[in-house]
Amino acid sequence: MTSPAAGDPRGPSGAVGEVAPAIEAIGVVRRFRERPALRGVSVHVVPGEIHALLGRNGAGKTTLLRILAGLATPDEGEVRAFGEPGHRPMTRDARAVVGLVPSGDRSFYLRLSGLENLVFFARLYGLRKRRASERAREMLRWVELEDAATRAVGEYSHGMQKRLSVARGLLMEPPILLVDEATHDLDPGAAIRVRDLVTAARDRGTAVIWATQRLDEIRGFADRVTILHEGLVRFEGSVPQLMATTAPTRYVVQLDAAGPGDDRAGAALAGIGRLSASSEGAARLLELEEPGSLGRALAALEAAGFHVRTCREERSEIEAAFLAITGDEPAGGDA
Amino acid sequence: MNAWGIRRVGSVTTIRAELRKLPAFMRRDLLIALSYRAAFITDWLSMFAQILMIYFVGRIVSPDAIPEYGGTQATYMEFVAVGITVSSFMGVGLGRVFAAIRQEQVLGTLETLLLTPTALTTVQIGSVVYDLAYVPIRTFIFLGLTSLVFGTTYDWSGLVPAAVVLIAFVPFVWGVGVLAAAWTLTFKRGTGVVGILTSVLTIGSGAYFPLEVIPGWAESIFAWSPVTIALEASRDALLGGAGFLDVLPSILLLIPFAAASLAFGVWTFRLALERERRRGSLGLY
Repeated sequence: MTSPAAGDPRGPSGAVGEVAPAIEAIGVVRRFRERPALRGVSVHVVPGEIHALLGRNGAGKTTLLRILAGLATPDEGEVRAFGEPGHRPMTRDARAVVGLVPSGDRSFYLRLSGLENLVFFARLYGLRKRRASERAREMLRWVELEDAATRAVGEYSHGMQKRLSVARGLLMEPPILLVDEATHDLDPGAAIRVRDLVTAARDRGTAVIWATQRLDEIRGFADRVTILHEGLVRFEGSVPQLMATTAPTRYVVQLDAAGPGDDRAGAALAGIGRLSASSEGAARLLELEEPGSLGRALAALEAAGFHVRTCREERSEIEAAFLAITGDEPAGGDA
Repeated sequence: MNAWGIRRVGSVTTIRAELRKLPAFMRRDLLIALSYRAAFITDWLSMFAQILMIYFVGRIVSPDAIPEYGGTQATYMEFVAVGITVSSFMGVGLGRVFAAIRQEQVLGTLETLLLTPTALTTVQIGSVVYDLAYVPIRTFIFLGLTSLVFGTTYDWSGLVPAAVVLIAFVPFVWGVGVLAAAWTLTFKRGTGVVGILTSVLTIGSGAYFPLEVIPGWAESIFAWSPVTIALEASRDALLGGAGFLDVLPSILLLIPFAAASLAFGVWTFRLALERERRRGSLGLY
């Protein structure tokens, strides 16, 4: 299998200007007994891209990653790595170009140290003993675990195990990295460190698929997004495109003297929206009748003698878009 | 190397490249074994206890009940010691191959192993390579201790022929072990099946008593068991001083059993693995 270098301008058709997908799922169907888990899912990721896979529990994210990694086979459709079919079952060639960071902690020998674990896996990738040891140390340094290198993995915290998992996933600098819910049980600091490591891999040209339920983490991190819902692709595009699918109409505002003046504020907002109590103490929930009328609403409040101290969307655009796309709320954001 | 700095897998698939991975498995399992110090020590203590038990049982067993080997009357302790030696190798093949796969499944490392460009056969052999090195050492010490402490006599010239018999025998139990591992992959729990199989083969092999004491019909069936063939050849070599040519007929009998068992075991395991991939339940246990 030939793996093109990052940013190879040749597309699948060979035309200059396109970037060939590093890995792609084409019309993948997967059923567990009669229950469909994936219903004709197509996803492609190019080198140097982080592609977020969003979806609720049971949306099919992990199943898709397992199929891409070759741990499960699709009932229909196919998976291609660098344009070559690699599955049914996944060939050893394909396995060498895919790194996986699994969601659970159960993937290491807990009695062995982090160093010994990485050396073992490096040797299974064909590195000689000395090179495997050097490479394992380099990776431990990179994920800032060198001080814990000789400690048993069983003594590692969740965050440390995740970083070790990223180190193993990138041990051979695979051109494709699949990451399954890497941050779901990490504290914010540890989650940022894991994302930084993956971003660094992306910057070196790795194609990353990042499956997550944490909507907030894809902003400024993912390049493109696929939303899976009940085994179907409901959205595929860039993060700005995702945010543009919904126009926010609900805002949390903090007004000076808001309490006694609710009636006055209500009158000022007539025809534009309405103000009601929010779950956030003194703050008020501003609901617009139409998207895009926030400026008019705030001006009306100011004109009525209110000073708007803060104003923010009740939900992030990503969250609102996700909820709209997955059918919980209609586009436009009205609950 | 490709543009990504990754070795082309085509060169890794060679047998030499796969063989180079075996020491990594060996080191992994040695480090894990050493990390369980108590288990390591109790294994040796249990061996001493086993020797003591055989010794005391041997005191109430008449030597006349034990067959002669090479014209020499063996004692019960000598008879059973060789039985235990062959059983140990049977244990590696039957018990450890399946237990190793089960352990990887429970640890969650099976999928991670299968994600690496490592041949399935390498994973299977690698999972027991430590035991394959450890068991002969343990067996040798076992035989040495019985000889030193309790005065059992072995014909050490038969050591090499016995070793050749065991080399021909191990692939047979290995194949059955891989079959048990396939069972474990498919049905998730295989202890019961392996336990029954081990008991039947042990009882029928004559490891602890001469086969003459079991019913005639069973004796004639078990006489064709590869375990019995290996055991009797090993006794001929270690207790009767049989040479290589003397045990050659047994070796020639073992080879087709070994080939059939290994081929069937590996084929079944591949089917089981493919089934698990299809079902997406490889990591379940």
